[in-house]
Amino acid sequence: MSGNKVDIKVVLLGKSYAGKTCLVERYLHERFNGETVPYQNTIGAAFGAKKVDVNGKKIVLGIWDTAGSERYESMSRIYYRNAKAAILCFDLTDKSSFDRIRFWIGELQTHEEACKIYICATKKDIIDADPNTRDVNEKEAQALAKDVMAELYETSSKTGENINELFMAIAQYYLETVKTTEVKEDMIYLNEVKKRLPCSCKST
Amino acid sequence: MSAAEKPSKETKDDKKGKKIQLHENDLLCKNGCGFYGNPAWQGFCSKCYREVYQSARQAQMQHDAHRQEAKKKVDLPTSFSKFAEKKTQQSNKRANTVKAIFRKTPAKDSDQSTTVKKETRRSSIESQKIGHEFMEFLKTLRKPAALEISKNVRTFIEKVPPYEDVIEVSNLVQDFYQSLNDKLLSSSLFKGLSHETIEKVMDYTERYILTRLYRYIFCPPTINDEERDLELQAKIRSLHWVTAQQLEALINENDPDIRQEVDKAITDIIELDSKRATQDKLDSVVKCSKHIFEALRQTKQGPASADEFLPALIYIVLKANPPLLQSNIQYITRFANPSRLMSGEAGYYFTNLCCVVNFIQNLTAESLSLSQQEYDRYMSGELTPSNDSQYMCEGLRLMHENLRSLSDMRTRQEKMMAETLQLQQDMVEFKDDFIREIHRVVENNPLIIKPRKTKVDLDETEDTKNLNLPSPLLPQQVTPLDTNSSTQEEQVSQGQITTNTACNDLPVTD
Repeated sequence: MSGNKVDIKVVLLGKSYAGKTCLVERYLHERFNGETVPYQNTIGAAFGAKKVDVNGKKIVLGIWDTAGSERYESMSRIYYRNAKAAILCFDLTDKSSFDRIRFWIGELQTHEEACKIYICATKKDIIDADPNTRDVNEKEAQALAKDVMAELYETSSKTGENINELFMAIAQYYLETVKTTEVKEDMIYLNEVKKRLPCSCKST
Repeated sequence: MSAAEKPSKETKDDKKGKKIQLHENDLLCKNGCGFYGNPAWQGFCSKCYREVYQSARQAQMQHDAHRQEAKKKVDLPTSFSKFAEKKTQQSNKRANTVKAIFRKTPAKDSDQSTTVKKETRRSSIESQKIGHEFMEFLKTLRKPAALEISKNVRTFIEKVPPYEDVIEVSNLVQDFYQSLNDKLLSSSLFKGLSHETIEKVMDYTERYILTRLYRYIFCPPTINDEERDLELQAKIRSLHWVTAQQLEALINENDPDIRQEVDKAITDIIELDSKRATQDKLDSVVKCSKHIFEALRQTKQGPASADEFLPALIYIVLKANPPLLQSNIQYITRFANPSRLMSGEAGYYFTNLCCVVNFIQNLTAESLSLSQQEYDRYMSGELTPSNDSQYMCEGLRLMHENLRSLSDMRTRQEKMMAETLQLQQDMVEFKDDFIREIHRVVENNPLIIKPRKTKVDLDETEDTKNLNLPSPLLPQQVTPLDTNSSTQEEQVSQGQITTNTACNDLPVTD
């Protein structure tokens, strides 16, 4: 819409302690909260913006973290309004967090169709270290992802595995789809202006 | 409004899992298009609302035109009174025909008052300042481009005042942003402008227009914003007892440093109301959020995330009870450039603020993990927060703080007094010691007043030297042979002296 600067909104949804914040922290600052690195430089990781370069095109990913507590669940739609992509996080070691993402899938599919869904499994490093801790069957997760036409990424914020890939996929997908939708939006918009102009002239 | 409240009561029992109950169907657009509706849009989604509204407006304008013609035939009023007539007609019409959409307040019937207001508005300091800044900025552009922009803006501002309804104005403003942006991007007149410059032009335009029209478009009497402000304010006031713990907000208020951050955050969110341009208002929200993050970071000893931020912001808003919060939010959503609200930091924090207001409006016992009984007892004032370290109201906390600083000041003053007295004592003792010492020294070394030394001449030194010399030889006494020996002798002795002196110095005597 506004020239060559592309700014897209990416919302992070997921149960508390599913690893949303670590994911952002890892992606934006290349570090992990569990490390003993002093984090005085960042005061908070609720919002972050990162420029990415996809095939020579610059995109700004605005990453919106949301409160995972069920208490604020009913307000989450205020957050994902107009989001271009949503990352649904669940903890591989916690089955309940996986069950919760079905809720958001439902929400997103009914209210924000334009929003592309990405399912992100977190804490993969723990599974790698001890396979017994896995609480969510990979096949089950994949089935769900396939069901809702979402992409599944198993990530680890500790090692950084798959995280850049996830965000790059978001940016790429957006660029691929934006061409067709943008034209449509413009057309609608132009018609609207034509409709309104005579009204404003009349009354002056 | 009522649509948002009703379902919360109805669904309380059947949906136990959710803390804030809003039935999904109530949130959807009344038109059934599948999008969410908004109470501000009478339950329609933005698109449907525009459509409904547009057709209503057109019908009404036609109606107006008919009436006007009918009137013209009856009598020919002067141009101004005709204009005024039309205005009153419009407002009356709106109230009667589309009552479901617009609520009428008694204040707006008087056209006189609006025209008077228009006069004073022109000269407000803020408008002048931003106008000046805008001019300065336009000077940096090429002349035809600058002229075109200023022409556009000026005509737009003049176009607005006849409109009474704020939503209409909002549509106009948004359309203007869009058309200006398109012009800047496509027109040959603006070719060569960098993207940053275009953004700046848009920014200044927004600032200028909104500052100029502020009084006219902020919390106008034609809409029930004020009512909702009061409602929200009353709700917040009734929740004065809510503690950070109940909200699970990680703010340790007993720490003075954190307390300071909290105070700053509260100040910033209150300042929101005093700003005019949407950018500045959003800036206040961002600043407030930054302070909250700082407070959280200090409490938690680590960076905070959205999980902690939202409850903390709720807590801050509850404690601050910012004036006209609802109006400000409405104003920003209506008149800010939408790109600002949909992306970027400001957009994010603003969204959070909207969530907070939503949460507070729908706050129930369950939202605070309290039983209904407890909640009611808190609300009636029967129960007060058990934790003593929590302050109950701002005044009381301030009083305690002031008392503490007063007592601190008193101890410091006492200390200073004691030290002053000590110093005084020391000085007296020093003086006494000194005197005593002097006396001792004087006794030990009595003062002997030596003869005053006289100035010495070179001659005199020679003289003193001579004094040490053996006395000069005296002339032999020769007894003269004179008869009058006695007198003679006298003379001799005199003569002796004279010769003596004559010997020493060269004859001085005559």
